[in-house]
Amino acid sequence: MIEIIGLTKRYGTRTAVDDLTFTVRPGQVTGFLGPNGAGKSTTMRAILGLDRPDAGGVTVNGRGYAGLSRPMREVGALLDARAVHPRRTARNHLLCLAQTNGISAARVDEVLALVGLESVARNRAGGFSLGMGQRLGIAVALLGDPKVLLFDEPVNGLDPEGIKWIRELMRGLAAEGRTVLVSSHLMSEMAQTADHLIVIGRGRLIADIGVTEFVRQGQNVLVRAEGQESLIHRLAEAGATVTPGADGALIVTGLEAREIGRCALDAGVVLTELTPQRSLEQAYMDLTRDSVEFQTSAA
Amino acid sequence: MSAAFADTVRSEWTKFRTIPANVPTLLSAVVLMVGAGALTANGAAENYRAGRALFDATYISMYGGFLFAQITVGALGVLVVTHEYATGLIRTSTTVVPRRGRLLAAKVATYGLIALAMGLVSSFGAYTLGQTVIAAGGAPAASLSQPGVLRAVTGMGLIWALVGLVGVALGILLRATMAATTVLVAVNFIIPVIGPRLLPDAVGDWVTTYWPISAGLQITTTVQNPERVAPWTGLGVMAGFTLVLLAAAFAVFRSRDT
Repeated sequence: MIEIIGLTKRYGTRTAVDDLTFTVRPGQVTGFLGPNGAGKSTTMRAILGLDRPDAGGVTVNGRGYAGLSRPMREVGALLDARAVHPRRTARNHLLCLAQTNGISAARVDEVLALVGLESVARNRAGGFSLGMGQRLGIAVALLGDPKVLLFDEPVNGLDPEGIKWIRELMRGLAAEGRTVLVSSHLMSEMAQTADHLIVIGRGRLIADIGVTEFVRQGQNVLVRAEGQESLIHRLAEAGATVTPGADGALIVTGLEAREIGRCALDAGVVLTELTPQRSLEQAYMDLTRDSVEFQTSAA
Repeated sequence: MSAAFADTVRSEWTKFRTIPANVPTLLSAVVLMVGAGALTANGAAENYRAGRALFDATYISMYGGFLFAQITVGALGVLVVTHEYATGLIRTSTTVVPRRGRLLAAKVATYGLIALAMGLVSSFGAYTLGQTVIAAGGAPAASLSQPGVLRAVTGMGLIWALVGLVGVALGILLRATMAATTVLVAVNFIIPVIGPRLLPDAVGDWVTTYWPISAGLQITTTVQNPERVAPWTGLGVMAGFTLVLLAAAFAVFRSRDT
């Protein structure tokens, strides 16, 4: 369990994280989403005591991280898989870190096998591919067999096989009752991996929501009709939200296409277009549109 | 020593020995110290025959080699820290050892002991070979039973440890290899060795007498120059300077985001 309460972190005049409060629960994969620069990495660094909050705080299993004497046994983290001395071997890299927490060399070999790096354990980490580096970073996180795991953008730059492996690993860890927080800026990835979503933008909490609920809310249908006024009226009665789209189209949320068709029949309106259009990715982009740091303007 | 601290020291030792270049680099410093020491001892013996210079057979067998070796020892101390910043490993290190005082203390203890051990090997090696060279050159060689000789040779080992720790402290304070190494070379070589020739006399004399490394090296002499500080006083000056740098490094390291 990770509890973040009123976390605020400023770098100079820039506020990276602004009064952020949320809880990450055990037994599920929690996706931590936000555009680049939203404050995900800053939040993760604050959880690990790497950056000192300007206000608020973080507890891991009810305690502050900085006070943990053997933190690897409680929290495992993958922050930056490239943070390896290129001339040190994979096994020695793990050994250096394991020794700080009194973890045995036997566990190092066990973890190397777990992430599938046994055959290259004695190779220099500098020669590793992105995927092998990512596996090494995950091995570090798993060394202490911790109950809480943090993964910062673990699938970045991986091939489909690597992505599938990490996804299954995270789901497996959560199924064992562990707390798993995984950050990403890709909604589609999180939809397949996470059970719960924390969405932030410009350092603030935008959504703290179950994936199923988010997907349901994400439904969105583009509608064109002859005689829109009565249709809009009928749709509003049925509980839908209607917003004007481009070229006189209507964007309808809260109803499925089938239900909209029925409303059109009730209202005696001819539909000229009925297109379920909003993907999960689009729903996410709509949610975070106002908080994207560097936005391109529409052409 | 607590178990957790011992574990962190063990990890730092593994970190040091598992970077392939570290051990050979350190051994090269030993070879430099002994080899260059033998050369300067030979020169000193010639000077003695020519009737020049105050002759300190112990000091002269170590000093020439030390001028070279200290750059390596200090730079390796810098690298022990800065390679972690350069690769980003420092973030992993402070994550697995969140008590930063413990992490830095383990680095200081580990590299301090490595530099001390190699320093003693070098100083005794340089001293022994140097005395052979001096005797062969027709000058009076020193022996360990003479007053101050054992203190001087052991003291050189302590100087190695202090030079290494100055490197560690500069690495923490500046984080970048080039910057820290440049400052290190300025502090331990350019200012004390070249400075007195370029600076106004009064300042130059002060540097020659009180600059940390210049004062510290008095521990390696067996003939007291009346214009210089006493051996242990000199070592105290250098140790104090090193402690101040380390204290600053601790303060900065504990409060800084990584």
